[in-house]
Amino acid sequence: MTDSLEKRDDASSATNFNDAMGVGDGSLTGTRHAVTDGIQLALNGVDHTARPTWKLNETIEFYRDILGLPLVHAISARGWGPPGHHDFLHFFFDAGKGATIAFFYYIGSKQPARYVPEEHHFYFATHTAWAVDTEEQLIQWKETLEARGIKISPYTKHEILESIYFTDPNGYPVEITRRLRETELIDEVDARLTIQAAMEVESECREAGELMPDIDMVWRRKAKLVDAYKGAA
Amino acid sequence: MIEVHVIDVPEFRPMVETQRGKPDVTITGPVKGYWTITAPVELIFSRKAMKMKPAVWYGIFTGGLNGEIAAWGRDEVRVIGTNRPL
Repeated sequence: MTDSLEKRDDASSATNFNDAMGVGDGSLTGTRHAVTDGIQLALNGVDHTARPTWKLNETIEFYRDILGLPLVHAISARGWGPPGHHDFLHFFFDAGKGATIAFFYYIGSKQPARYVPEEHHFYFATHTAWAVDTEEQLIQWKETLEARGIKISPYTKHEILESIYFTDPNGYPVEITRRLRETELIDEVDARLTIQAAMEVESECREAGELMPDIDMVWRRKAKLVDAYKGAA
Repeated sequence: MIEVHVIDVPEFRPMVETQRGKPDVTITGPVKGYWTITAPVELIFSRKAMKMKPAVWYGIFTGGLNGEIAAWGRDEVRVIGTNRPL
């Protein structure tokens, strides 16, 4: 392996959308796990998340002028890559610690119905959560944005996070959150056992041709796994 | 016999504290990061007694539950024994 991209394929080598964007078929057949090659790949936080917008003016006003996030980069380009790609703007707002939130504005396109945000938890599951350090900062965000005329949710205390929520002019959900405590070793152990229990139940339900009926079934399996974990040397 | 495992972290510890001293309730632990609450017939948890916010309340059995939720409400949950497979 060399440490330079110089002679490697660039985007111009791809002949279709799926190749250009690395779109797989979703199957894990034939894949290998990280332990088999012993390479620990590392990440260093978020660079950017991105989504499309069909409201250029409102998006800029909301993120730059109301939230006050610096507009730090903007690309304006002819459509390139896959056939039918629109000319576009791609612009980035600074979200702290090197992370940005970015948007694509596709010139001359209309918003397809399936991209219109829905008031449903399936839709809201995809969201951006920005971090603040202190309770005072979380309160300041809520009260300042409310004073600027933005509708903000009540505070929600999760297990290790406390959050507020709001939506942007596109209807995209945004969360601002603070860590209530650092995670400990037991959090990792517990996460492993919870997910193991849920994976087992999912597999069994799939084999039976059924949907998982409730979380209680996972909790019961978890009890068995925790018993075994506690009893193990 | 009902068995509830509780992760030994601040947000779930009130489950253990509010069961202490209740008749028929046995508490052991923490063993390797888990408290275990057992009772022969039923266990009742009160959200207000635990001063628990809803987002935590709805996940209180995430540590593991060998039992059946007989009644679930916003402020109280009652658990009974079960023969259902774990």
